[in-house]
Amino acid sequence: MKEHIVLIIGAGPAGLETAYQLKNLGLTPVVIERNDKIGGHLAQWDRLFPSSEEAEQLLERLKGQTKDIEIRLNSRITNIEREGDSFHVTLSNNRTYDADAIVLCTGFDLFKAEKKQEYGYGIYNNVITNAELERYFKTHHDERINEPKRIGFVHCVGSRDVKVNNTYCSKVCCATALKQACEIKDEFPDADVYCFYMDLRMFGKGYEDLYLKAQKDFDIKCVRGRVCEVSENIEGKLVIKAEDTLLGTPMKMTLDLLVLMCGMEKADGVDKIQKMLSINSNSDGFIENKDTFTGMNLTRERGVFVAGACTSPKTLPDTLAEARAAAMEVYRYLNS
Amino acid sequence: MRPTFDPFVLPFVIGTTFVLMYCFIGMIRIIWQLPKKDRRKFGLSLITPKTLWKNIKDLFGDCLFHVKIWKRKPLIGYMHSAIAFGWFMIIIVGHFETVAFSPLRGVEMPFMQKLMSNLYLPIFFRYFAIEGLTLKAQIFSFLMDFFLLMIISGIVIAVVKKKRPRKVGMKRVTKFGIKEDLVRIALWTIFPLRFLAESSVAGFAGGSFLTKFLGFDLLFGGNYNETLSMVLWWLYSIDLAIFMFVLPFTRYMHIPAEALLILLRNAGLKTTAPRKGYALAEIYSCPSCGLCIDVCPMSEYKNDYKKTAVYFMRNIRRKNKREVRKMTEICLMCGKCVEVCPLGIESLNIKMAQRANISYRMKSDFGYLERLRDYETTSQQVIVSKSKSKSESESKSESKIVYFAGCMSHLTPKITRSMVKIFEEAKENYEFLDKNGSICCGRPMMLTGKVNEAKSLIEKNTELIKSSGAKRLVLSCPICYKVFKEEYHLEGIEILHHTQYINELIENDKIHVDRSDKRYVYHDPCELGRAFKVYDEPRNIIDNIGLLTRGKSDKDMSVCCGGSIGSITMTIEERDEITTNSIKDLMHNNPEEIVTACPLCQKTFARKSPIAVKDIAEIVVENLEDE
Repeated sequence: MKEHIVLIIGAGPAGLETAYQLKNLGLTPVVIERNDKIGGHLAQWDRLFPSSEEAEQLLERLKGQTKDIEIRLNSRITNIEREGDSFHVTLSNNRTYDADAIVLCTGFDLFKAEKKQEYGYGIYNNVITNAELERYFKTHHDERINEPKRIGFVHCVGSRDVKVNNTYCSKVCCATALKQACEIKDEFPDADVYCFYMDLRMFGKGYEDLYLKAQKDFDIKCVRGRVCEVSENIEGKLVIKAEDTLLGTPMKMTLDLLVLMCGMEKADGVDKIQKMLSINSNSDGFIENKDTFTGMNLTRERGVFVAGACTSPKTLPDTLAEARAAAMEVYRYLNS
Repeated sequence: MRPTFDPFVLPFVIGTTFVLMYCFIGMIRIIWQLPKKDRRKFGLSLITPKTLWKNIKDLFGDCLFHVKIWKRKPLIGYMHSAIAFGWFMIIIVGHFETVAFSPLRGVEMPFMQKLMSNLYLPIFFRYFAIEGLTLKAQIFSFLMDFFLLMIISGIVIAVVKKKRPRKVGMKRVTKFGIKEDLVRIALWTIFPLRFLAESSVAGFAGGSFLTKFLGFDLLFGGNYNETLSMVLWWLYSIDLAIFMFVLPFTRYMHIPAEALLILLRNAGLKTTAPRKGYALAEIYSCPSCGLCIDVCPMSEYKNDYKKTAVYFMRNIRRKNKREVRKMTEICLMCGKCVEVCPLGIESLNIKMAQRANISYRMKSDFGYLERLRDYETTSQQVIVSKSKSKSESESKSESKIVYFAGCMSHLTPKITRSMVKIFEEAKENYEFLDKNGSICCGRPMMLTGKVNEAKSLIEKNTELIKSSGAKRLVLSCPICYKVFKEEYHLEGIEILHHTQYINELIENDKIHVDRSDKRYVYHDPCELGRAFKVYDEPRNIIDNIGLLTRGKSDKDMSVCCGGSIGSITMTIEERDEITTNSIKDLMHNNPEEIVTACPLCQKTFARKSPIAVKDIAEIVVENLEDE
């Protein structure tokens, strides 16, 4: 069999899993990563919902599977030229590849919390993001987190919000918020922890259990309603205004720490690659795939495949499943 | 001797009598509908020398010369004033001519004919009189020809405007139905017919360069044909009659209505009801010129300009309730249409009055305002800057400035933070009135027509501001600024927007800023710019900080950001389109940052802008001089 080179863009969970499966199928995957290390957002995370498995463990497994595979770090794609069914790809370090197929595993970026000025991220000291809290769990070092007595979590920051042009649900934040709420309660057992949600979307296996556990075992208080305004009082504490839509009353509360559950947005820089490959975006900005049911790993361009959160927000299990499916699609395409 | 009467004048006489009576009754009706107080005010204004002079000035300036249109679009201005002023002069000069050469002098005739002759003689003068060749006659016929030519030149532009709007500087023009088309054709043909009719008799009745030389000598070859001449005079009279009969039911009603509107406006009257009195005068005064179409930010969305002021006025005139409601509710209330309206029709006030008549199912409970007072006296609840130490409350009475951020500024904490920093930098004695949450200024309620509800908020805020003992009130939000300026009675307290206040601090050397060569563009918020003409202060501030570039349109032509709370029903897609267009306009000269002075504009632009969008207070704080 002729050697088939498959270029995978992005060395996050989707990219690594696709590469591993392609290698098993006898193809030659090459993974391109713009950062200096692999793992994507997974490498930044401490533990994973719903079972609180350590992110490190999953990352090690993925790393182990791909240790024989060529992974190019610190590499950006500068040009792609299509010649028939082959892609001539040039990287930022002038290395070139002739690939038979391309799999886009470009993932997502976290919503930039500064865009919601009313939550005061970057203005008030004690407003942090979900990613920053995760880093704290990993390193146990963050000057802003100092024996907080009252902690609030705001769900849907940058998700389901027309005012920031993101109308979609980011899928993972509900479960992440409850996971983090439990963890921080574990860390500071005297603290009161509140979750401000629009809807709790506990759709996956074990998620509902997490929700019940959070309330029963960790005394997390879930309030249905959005936080509308955050300010700081004289002592430097946060004063939030929200509405409890179940009780139908406005509420005002003083907090020591506010965690913003930033949703997913299309990754920065993917537009350029899409342009080189003439691939469109959906109305929500993510990459458009061929169809929702049987062509979810395909695009409208022959030989260009997609996997993971680059097409829409996804959980890790979904991402990994998609990566395996994408590998099968690539294999079928190259052997037909 | 020419005849003194001919039946062809009858259509004209009947038409004119009809239109004069219609207008008279209409005028009485409008004045009758005015509230009693306004009627007295109007009556008084007519005998006050100052307003009298203004009335005359405006009647000439607006009705005849269309000065306001000249300023924006000279060619269209010429078109309107050529037709209006030319026609007016033809009537006036025609009357003088009649007096000078009346063929009826000393002629015995029945009373009715004498009365009628006052109407028809100046108009059909050439048919009845023979002027002779005296210098006086020559001057008159030259003037008459000159003004006739002026009108015809105006009509030529009107035809071009209708067929190729872009040639006269308009992108889009109003669309009309059959009735309006008919009256327009009638108007356009009146003067060519007059030219032909007068030319046909110019051989013996006299005429000048137009009717005699061009018309009689060249066009008719110097021959007088009685039948043809009669046909032309009949056509001319019938055409005038058609115009007069249709006029009250078409846009040309603006000709008489405008004169009344000017008098009412100079008397200081305002709209009180959506379709009565002053508003009715405005409705009839709208000439459907369509100048408001191109400036309306809504016109850009799918090129649908049927929601603009001109269509609103038309629908309200036709009592098309459903459309009126739709258009009333969707309007952003940015005020650009009012700004360009050559007649100064305040369609926003009509919309506001209209909104007051819409009943929204809304339960508003202002009980908390009462409770607020109780909390204050017992000092239990921190709602209105209560947590004060003793020394602070002592200094309270000496505070000179009270700062009211408003709810929008609380959603953009960068602004309130910057303002606090500025107050401290200037070492001002200030009180942040709504630091711990504000009572709404009342403007959103006003905008939805809930005047009484707004009043209860206004009263409470007035009470709080007065009790602070401050002499100056600084606001960060133009939305608040507008309602504070218009509806609050804060005697002895100066109301300032923070652009005015900061500008003053810089000019008085109370704060010092560094100057860089960063390129800024300033967006004028509707409720600060068009509403109160605060154009220079923010520009002065930016001049002190960096380089001020200009957007494509600014100051009174600044494009609404799209976020306006003025609109009740506009969808996010429509708003987005307006925002994108407004940003495109601001990016015209490649600025590095967009600066505005309204928290809502800032938030709205930030969603779509490719460059940073900041409030003017933020850039001032960023550039404060290190000490």
